[in-house]
Amino acid sequence: MGKKVAIIGTGQTNHCSSREDVNEMELVYEAAAAALKDAEMTIAEIDAVVLANMELFEGRALHDMWCGEGAGAFMKHSFKISTGGTSGTSGAISGYYHAASGLFDRVMVVGFEKHSDGNTLAGMALTDPFWDRHVAAAAIGNFALSVSEYMADRGVTEEQSAKVAVKARRNACNNPHAHLQMPDLTVKKVLESPVLAYPVHRLEMCPQSDGACAIIFASEEIAKKRCPRPAWVRAAVTRHDHIYLGEVKNRLATMRSLKEAAKVAYETVGIKEPLKEFDVAEIYDPLTYAEIAWYEALGFCKDGEGGKLIDDGITQMDGELPVNPSGGVISTNPVGASGTIRVAEAALQIHGRGGRRQIPDVNLALATGYGVYCWSDVLILSSKPD
Amino acid sequence: MKRNTEREELLRIPIQMKLQYRFPAGAHYERFFRELKKTGKIMGIKCPECERVLVPPRPVCGECFTRTGEWVEVGPKGTVVAHTSIYFPFIDGSTGKPRPIPYGAGLIQLDGAYSAINHILEEGDPDKLHIGMRVEAMLKEKREGNIGDILYFKTIEE
Repeated sequence: MGKKVAIIGTGQTNHCSSREDVNEMELVYEAAAAALKDAEMTIAEIDAVVLANMELFEGRALHDMWCGEGAGAFMKHSFKISTGGTSGTSGAISGYYHAASGLFDRVMVVGFEKHSDGNTLAGMALTDPFWDRHVAAAAIGNFALSVSEYMADRGVTEEQSAKVAVKARRNACNNPHAHLQMPDLTVKKVLESPVLAYPVHRLEMCPQSDGACAIIFASEEIAKKRCPRPAWVRAAVTRHDHIYLGEVKNRLATMRSLKEAAKVAYETVGIKEPLKEFDVAEIYDPLTYAEIAWYEALGFCKDGEGGKLIDDGITQMDGELPVNPSGGVISTNPVGASGTIRVAEAALQIHGRGGRRQIPDVNLALATGYGVYCWSDVLILSSKPD
Repeated sequence: MKRNTEREELLRIPIQMKLQYRFPAGAHYERFFRELKKTGKIMGIKCPECERVLVPPRPVCGECFTRTGEWVEVGPKGTVVAHTSIYFPFIDGSTGKPRPIPYGAGLIQLDGAYSAINHILEEGDPDKLHIGMRVEAMLKEKREGNIGDILYFKTIEE
């Protein structure tokens, strides 16, 4: 077992489709400065810096070199993590490992992406040159294939999918950092938006955002001294499945990387009934159908009952387990930061600093990451160190 | 959110690049694509431990971490296990140009293979696509030794 570690501060930029007023280093600096302020720390106190970003979108090499100073990495121990969509959660898990090893007491993680600098669809098209490039239709076409399997297998409906989009964009209205805030969105409007890859509509997919998010991890002694209500990391698990989509059978329905990561994390913390025991969940929902599928993979309900959870309002702000009070990835998606935001939002709920998106009395929070075709990260945060 | 209203005052550096890449196929892909080019056969490789026939072929089975060995012919007929119809002009990563829309795409489990392959379907109408439909690979006459040698998968009646 590693040493006890808690998140004591978080910071985010205001995410939107194009932050033309800043360059990438300035974006990183905004998040890092906000997290330091939240933790009431100076950069001199930070021992190590982990950066997370998904390469290729901005068309720039060596982000860590150009953005590192914005995260205060100058002359410090510093790494970059890049694992596709999971970059942000893997970065957070790396930050946790650094502190849990006992080698570092205060670690800052900054996830960032500036989609508007480059061409996201071009970045997505630069997939495997032998098998994928000729046929791949970005994340949307890729997911649409899996949605056909998932709908056939589990009977989830278009209306249930659209309800997830409505929940996400309405929740986003309570989050000043969220990109797509749509108070008047309806199921009808979602299903009337253009079909990009059948059956996936534009408003069922995540957007492309510019944004950064920073988290500060601290060792037990420092966390207790410096934070009135630390968010203790109780489990952090990562699992990778096959890389070739055709080898992941019925991906959304089986999602074995997420199931396995959750199983290990739940066993570590002793969670038996996740729907009852978690007070809030921030899960990485690249599209609406995935959120419903993740309900099942995470054991919030039995297989085939994910659609019913959204129908019954169980995952709404006032439901038994609010999922994504922040608005989720469907509302805000600076890819390299999206996972970091999940962890930061889960921590924020335990800190009790969630503002209008705060769920009352959060003691146990779940955060997940999703990346590439079938990679998963699961973190469990608690108000109690053990 | 800081919004700059005076857009003309922002400095931007526009850059357009033409880049060239040459990706070596490696021993297993090379054998697959040479066979496809020469004979039109689609080949998979079998893991001696779990007996899955893998396409793309690889030197090692991801699940068993065992050296794969025996090459076996798969397809050209197969079954659609997942499908979609694309209505957005995504970039064709092999040409850099937008692909003409609409078109059908699917995961096709080739007869005799464990893996399904991601490819274009002849049928693009979502009302006519369904899981379990039978299809057959249609090949180019003048093949070049790449996955584009399979033009698309044609719907067949059996």
